[in-house]
Amino acid sequence: MFGQTEAITLDMLKMALDAASLRHQAIANNIANVNTPGYAPARVSFEAQMGALRSTLQQGNPITPGMLSGIRPVLEREAVVQESDRTALLDKEIVNMAQNTVQYEALLKALGKHMSILSAAVAEGKR
Amino acid sequence: MDYRNAFAISATGMDVEKLRLDTIAANLANIHSGKGVDGKLFRPLHVTTSEATSNFAVGFEQLAGAQLHGARVLSVEASNVAPRKVYEPGNPEADDKGFVSMPGVNQVTEMVNMASALRAYEANVVAMNAAKTMALKALELGGSQ
Repeated sequence: MFGQTEAITLDMLKMALDAASLRHQAIANNIANVNTPGYAPARVSFEAQMGALRSTLQQGNPITPGMLSGIRPVLEREAVVQESDRTALLDKEIVNMAQNTVQYEALLKALGKHMSILSAAVAEGKR
Repeated sequence: MDYRNAFAISATGMDVEKLRLDTIAANLANIHSGKGVDGKLFRPLHVTTSEATSNFAVGFEQLAGAQLHGARVLSVEASNVAPRKVYEPGNPEADDKGFVSMPGVNQVTEMVNMASALRAYEANVVAMNAAKTMALKALELGGSQ
């Protein structure tokens, strides 16, 4: 029982952390280019690829490692920002960044909890 | 997972905005400058920037995250703005009608540009601090829980 959930949880947390880290770089790039004419903002697509996994879980079925193949953070480009929308871009990116930082810390917390469950299971053998 | 790239991206943004502030300061400092030793008037400077791209091979660029390099300065150019004519008959540089040519620096434009450059600079600092917070949080992983 442990082998399967263990691998899936760690893999998914790792990918989600990678996605949040890449997303931070994309946001930093957008902020660095906030005054660049003709710049197309970078975005990271990741959570949208989780639709199939979510419906599998809702039907009460377990996720198999094979279902994770092909899911990875992807860097995308939006349409070029118009000159008049440039100030709105900065506000939007700051909001995205705050959200992404909280998301990253939540993922780290989840990873920490998962590890502590594992160490509790390991420690039982000592008694 | 590479934090250095996030720091490097924010650093390029700060670099660009700093140069923008420097040129604005130079424009404002020369707002009343007369002709230089070469007999030419100061012309307002303008910074052109673009997104920074890497010179690496395209195959390497396919790596997500390796495609992000922040911003870079293309050039600092003197813009072709007509000089301002100020009526100052006592000035030794005045023409026969009493007008003196002064650099075509628009104080209002420069102040607006300064406000937006300052705001962009601050946003880059915030992004860098967020990257630092994230990296430090990740270091706590595996510590006492």
